[in-house]
Amino acid sequence: MTYRFLHSSDLHLGRAYGGFPEDIRGRLREARHTVIARLASAAREAGAIDVLLAGDTFDAETPSPETLRHALRAMAAEGDLRWMLMPGNHDSLAASELWRRVQADAPENLVVLSDPVPVELASDVWLLPAPCTQRRPGRDLTEAMSAPTPEGAIRIGLGHGAIMDFTSDEGSPGIIPPDRARLSGLDYLGLGDWHGRMQIGPATWYSGTPESGGFKHDTAPGALVVHIAASGAPAQASVAQTGQFDWLRPVMDMLPGEDISARLAHILPPETRRRDTLLRLEAAGRLTLAERAAFETQLAAIAPDFGWFETDLARVATEVKPYDLDLIDRGGALRRAADALLSESADPSRAQAHRDLADLALSRLYALVQEVDA
Amino acid sequence: MKIRAIELTNLRRFAGQRARIDGIGDGISVLSQPNEFGKSTFFDGLHALFFHPHRSAKAPVKTLQPHAGGAPEAAVEIDLPEGHFRVEKRWLSRPAARVLDASGRLIAQEDEAEAWIDRLTDQGLAGPSGLLWVRQGVLGMEPEGAGASEKSERERALHARRDLLSSVAGEIEMMTGGRRMDQVLARVNDALAKLATSTLRPRSGGEWARAVDEAATLTEECAYLEVKAARLGAELRQRAAITRDLAQLTDATASAREIEALAEADQALKSAETHAERIAKSEADLRLARLNTSQGAEAISQLQQLQTRLASAGTGQNKAREALAEVESLTEKTAAQEAEAAIRHEATREKVVALAARLDHAQRARLALAARDRAASLATEYDRAERQRAAGETYRADRSLLKITRTLLDKAEEAQAIRDRLALQDEARLVLVKISYQGDARVLMDGRPLAPEGIRLRAAVGLDLPGIGHMTIDPGLVAASDLAAQLTRAEEALAKSLSACGTSSIAAARKALAEAERLDGAIRQADNLLAELAPEGIGALQSRLAEARAAAGAAETEPAEEPALLQDQLQAAREVEATALAQRHEAETRHATLRESRAARQASVQSADQILAAVQVEAGDLVDLAARVQNLTAAQPALVQAETEAAAALARLTENAPDLATAQATVSRLRSVVEGRRRDLARLQSDLAGVNGSIGALADEGIEEALGELRGREATASARAARYEREVKALARLRTALEDARRTAREAYFGPVLREIDPLLSILHPGAALRIDDTSLLPIALTRDGQDEGLDILSGGTREQLAILTRLAFARLFAGSGRPVPVILDDALVHSDDDRIEAMFTALHRVAQDQQIIILTCRQRAFAPLGGERLIARIERA
Repeated sequence: MTYRFLHSSDLHLGRAYGGFPEDIRGRLREARHTVIARLASAAREAGAIDVLLAGDTFDAETPSPETLRHALRAMAAEGDLRWMLMPGNHDSLAASELWRRVQADAPENLVVLSDPVPVELASDVWLLPAPCTQRRPGRDLTEAMSAPTPEGAIRIGLGHGAIMDFTSDEGSPGIIPPDRARLSGLDYLGLGDWHGRMQIGPATWYSGTPESGGFKHDTAPGALVVHIAASGAPAQASVAQTGQFDWLRPVMDMLPGEDISARLAHILPPETRRRDTLLRLEAAGRLTLAERAAFETQLAAIAPDFGWFETDLARVATEVKPYDLDLIDRGGALRRAADALLSESADPSRAQAHRDLADLALSRLYALVQEVDA
Repeated sequence: MKIRAIELTNLRRFAGQRARIDGIGDGISVLSQPNEFGKSTFFDGLHALFFHPHRSAKAPVKTLQPHAGGAPEAAVEIDLPEGHFRVEKRWLSRPAARVLDASGRLIAQEDEAEAWIDRLTDQGLAGPSGLLWVRQGVLGMEPEGAGASEKSERERALHARRDLLSSVAGEIEMMTGGRRMDQVLARVNDALAKLATSTLRPRSGGEWARAVDEAATLTEECAYLEVKAARLGAELRQRAAITRDLAQLTDATASAREIEALAEADQALKSAETHAERIAKSEADLRLARLNTSQGAEAISQLQQLQTRLASAGTGQNKAREALAEVESLTEKTAAQEAEAAIRHEATREKVVALAARLDHAQRARLALAARDRAASLATEYDRAERQRAAGETYRADRSLLKITRTLLDKAEEAQAIRDRLALQDEARLVLVKISYQGDARVLMDGRPLAPEGIRLRAAVGLDLPGIGHMTIDPGLVAASDLAAQLTRAEEALAKSLSACGTSSIAAARKALAEAERLDGAIRQADNLLAELAPEGIGALQSRLAEARAAAGAAETEPAEEPALLQDQLQAAREVEATALAQRHEAETRHATLRESRAARQASVQSADQILAAVQVEAGDLVDLAARVQNLTAAQPALVQAETEAAAALARLTENAPDLATAQATVSRLRSVVEGRRRDLARLQSDLAGVNGSIGALADEGIEEALGELRGREATASARAARYEREVKALARLRTALEDARRTAREAYFGPVLREIDPLLSILHPGAALRIDDTSLLPIALTRDGQDEGLDILSGGTREQLAILTRLAFARLFAGSGRPVPVILDDALVHSDDDRIEAMFTALHRVAQDQQIIILTCRQRAFAPLGGERLIARIERA
């Protein structure tokens, strides 16, 4: 008998995204909510009934009533599935009000794994959850996964937190040992907390978040479809893509004379994906004044394609050549002002902030002159 | 560049003709022709060749077309360092542009030719035109008048100025940034103005201020929500603690243990209470036995005391009776002595009374005699005083009837004198008619004979002269004289003064005044006498008189015995009475003392009798009293034995008694534990309900979500504000750099221009200097003798000269930079007088040493002294 289930975590429902403009903020929150439906589809496609959520289903200990109610209704709507919710560090058991409300309003197909005791998922399939008691419990909660189950049963561990810190000899208390699956005789250990997908051992996985919420991880968001044929048999995990938004953080290191347009076209996603893409372009290197102006113009032109677009040009140094200054003026007061700003930006005796300001002023002068001459 | 020849074909004035000027030299070349020759046509054609593309059909180009139509053409031959070239242009119809070299070879045509000209005019820079154009109308020297031709000329002049300014401005712009600098600065200032104030603070309503305000508002909102979130966290922790405490309190095992312990403690308390009751009964028995023993001993003692008291009362009664008898005997003796002393005293007192009456009578008689004398004296004074008072009143009454005073009399006398003087004058003025009768016949006036002394006439009168007729005598204007009126007013004044004096004449007034002064003296005399007789007033004197009379009337008038003798006798009698009185008081005192002593002895006897009677009643039968004492003494040992036994029984009970207080404390403690648990349970349940309510309310608000959103928004707003701040700083830095550069450029520009102008200016205005505006970059004032004179107050000639000198200075600047440009003056000196125009010619020659100058003028004679090459325009059919 092969047991199939969907392993996911870190939905962070109700995450605010306050640092983003209002329109994309709303879309991101909505994507967080609709990921429930996408997880359900992934489970059905895999032939699974159980969706195991390894913590941080909710972003806050006291999510708004709307966030909570919408989530519960969405799970209830997927009535052919069973949702197993385990508290993580964001929504730990200390969030008593949250879990009280979940228990009070939970649909029949939702199970809250609030106790570190074995739960029978199916015949001879046992789930050994290690719910977080506090945001920082200070002990290894996965020790509970060593609890006995019937002989020959499939043992699935579900935990939340960081893997042992190998920088110290004995590891840090409160951190999950990487060989927990072996120590507790688990056929599979599903973990949450790390938003990027990561395999720790043959039977130990972080599923990652099903919908990205930041630029930190490069892996595409998704969930793990897990097949376990029998107790002791190796677990088979495959990825089901569930993310709506792409969070990209490309880095461009540029030099004068490069074909910036081509570079840019190479790193940018297809236009059809851009609306659901949040992109933070980190540029570095050197550009001439003209190139920088052209680069900024191109960036300004493509920015509206994206759901959110931000560029960081702080590390782009402006390489000013006489020809660049000639484009401002070949003589006279404008050229004199440009020369003064260039000299100031390159003056090592001045503070870096002062030099940066002069550099920025020179760029503005260049751009304004181009506008005037246009 | 130097122009060598100009050729116009079918261009405005030269319709169907070709006009050509050849042989233009290096220095000054003059085309001097009368009006309407077409000098300005040469000027405009040359300008169009350099500045209007051949495909242009704009108004300036269309003005080149002659009325007959056709395509206007212009050509110029120039020398450049590279060689000799011919430039041609044709406009409007089949437009064309060509550049040919000295050999006639086509160098460029069409757009390439235009580019070749552009390079020529601006040297590849966005700067000068390469030519300096000066024509009539420069710097406001416009034709006066409102006619169409004048208006048209003004517009042409305006165009010319613009052209001229643009040609100069090109160089200026190159040096100072010019319009591009202005536009860039304007954009910088616009951008800054949208974001910041003049002090680079966030401008209210601007994006920067909005970002700052938004960040501040969000920070406040975050702080508010953080407080709420902290409260929610605290209440969640509190609920966890309450839940934990509740679990402990509702532990069934612990609760059962507590109830069982309470039951055991209750049982122990009951046992302790029963034992305590037995001890209490034993203690009561002991107290009773002790009472019986003490009561027996008490009764024996009381009976023995009674026996002693009975004996003592009998002895006391006997002693009191003996003392009473002794006192009563002494009292009778002193009563007799008291009676004798009283009789003696009464006899002496009566003698004193009689002598006192006689002395009083004698003294009264003496006082009556003195009072009569005093009354008589006061009566005399009073009579005199009364007379003086009556006389004074009489004088005052008489005096009050007289109004006259010395002042009034003086005024009346002065009015009399005036009236008399006027009367004399009046009389002297009147006509006197005096008749000396010699017979009986009499002159009649009003039927009565006229007296011989005559009359003085004030008005015309009629006189009947019997036998003769009637005669009228008219004094003329005498009557109308003002003197009569003055006399009338003087008489009225006199009458008024006399009336004020209360008299009808001056004599009467004088008499009245003498009488008044006499009466005033009499009044003063009477008042003085009265004051002397009755200093306190006549009323007081009268009162004193009445008092004296009353005193005299009340006294006995008959004389009595000698008071002094009687006084001595009375004194002696009083001394005797005093001695008798003292003896009487002594006897009374002794008697009273003995009476009190007798009363005390009588009370002592009565008291002793009562005491004895009382003790006897208390003792009753004296034989039974002794028996009772004996019986009680015999029963006392049995009572002591009973007390000893009761004490032993109590000691036995107390020895093994349980501690009731401990048992009670144990029960109390255990009951408090159970009650405390119930109370704690109720309190915790209540607290839990409260915390649940509060948590529910806070959780409904989704505080953490809201807080997360606000924090993100606050960070974004702060970052945006920081970006704006950086942008403002960058723009401000850019503005500073631009302004500094332009200022430096202007300073660099003015220097060379002024250096070129000064020697030219000194030719016309020695010692003068020109001040240049740093915005328009053109002269704005001439400074002479330390005084600034604005261009607008200078004469037309001076302004004209300054304008040309300024352009010559520019031309020298260009030449100095290796780019010599021709200066073309078209009727540019029309306002200058003869002296100044010659000075201007000198200035032109000074510049012309290394500068080509082409002058077009209609003033042939005035420009004859200019010298230079004389140009000839050849005109032929095209």
